[in-house]
Amino acid sequence: MGKKCYRYFGGFLSVQETWLNKMAEKGFRLVRTGKMLYEFEACEPGQVRYCVEFIGQKREDSAAEYHDFLEDMGYRVFYKNINLNYSVGKIRLRPWAEAGGRIAANATTYNRELLIVEKENDGKEFKLHTTYEDRETYCKTLRNPYLFLFLLFAAMGILMQSWMWGIFAVPLLVPVFFYQMELLKLRKQAKSKEW
Amino acid sequence: MRDNVKGGALTEVTFYILLSVYSPRHGYMIMQFIEEQTGGRLSLGAGTLYGALNSLQEKGWIEPYGSSEGRKKEYLITAQGKEIAEKELFRLQELVNIAVGIMQQPS
Repeated sequence: MGKKCYRYFGGFLSVQETWLNKMAEKGFRLVRTGKMLYEFEACEPGQVRYCVEFIGQKREDSAAEYHDFLEDMGYRVFYKNINLNYSVGKIRLRPWAEAGGRIAANATTYNRELLIVEKENDGKEFKLHTTYEDRETYCKTLRNPYLFLFLLFAAMGILMQSWMWGIFAVPLLVPVFFYQMELLKLRKQAKSKEW
Repeated sequence: MRDNVKGGALTEVTFYILLSVYSPRHGYMIMQFIEEQTGGRLSLGAGTLYGALNSLQEKGWIEPYGSSEGRKKEYLITAQGKEIAEKELFRLQELVNIAVGIMQQPS
């Protein structure tokens, strides 16, 4: 028995991951994703587990390479959009991305910012990033888009002496602060522990 | 923790990956190898493994093995990688010898 759900999680990656894992526990595994669509088919309850990973900073070819690497590991991998944008000729600047990935278009990495990774449940915890050093790096890639937008809006506000930009800037401090705290915690642990 | 290349101390993750590719292995087999050898004590996430493989490749310690035609990419240790691993082995042996000498002397 199939099931279609429409959800939008935006930047709340862990909420999306938790929801997918709850669906899996109820006996639904993902078969297809759309902009807001999640299509499931029936499976054994708890048969699979999910991880959601942000890859918006990657170049098109390195994103594809990572996608293939995960498939080679025996996982099923789905691309997912983080934005809700239906325009066709979208081009977006990503100064926070790695070299070669700073211009995102529909044909390349735009609307493919997330990977949903599915693993057959073997009773072990499913995590993609396990060492503290690597988790620190990943946390940085999650923080940087928010940090960049905050700095941009703050600079615009100061340059144009307009509080309007401030209204855009201030909410961005929430994720920046959240990831920064996480980052400092990981960095501290990374000094004495490897994983 | 990071590899201390100058002093020769490698992280456990780096050393185990180098050991795992003394014969050609692809990602999943590397993960399995490390888990089996450590009795499940060290279990690497796929994202972490991917990052580690890329950085070891950039350093020239490992390289892709065989044709890229086959879907699963295999890796093999390079001469430079072997040199690094051997140095680490000698460093650890020296450390163990000194430790045994100090800690196991009859009191």
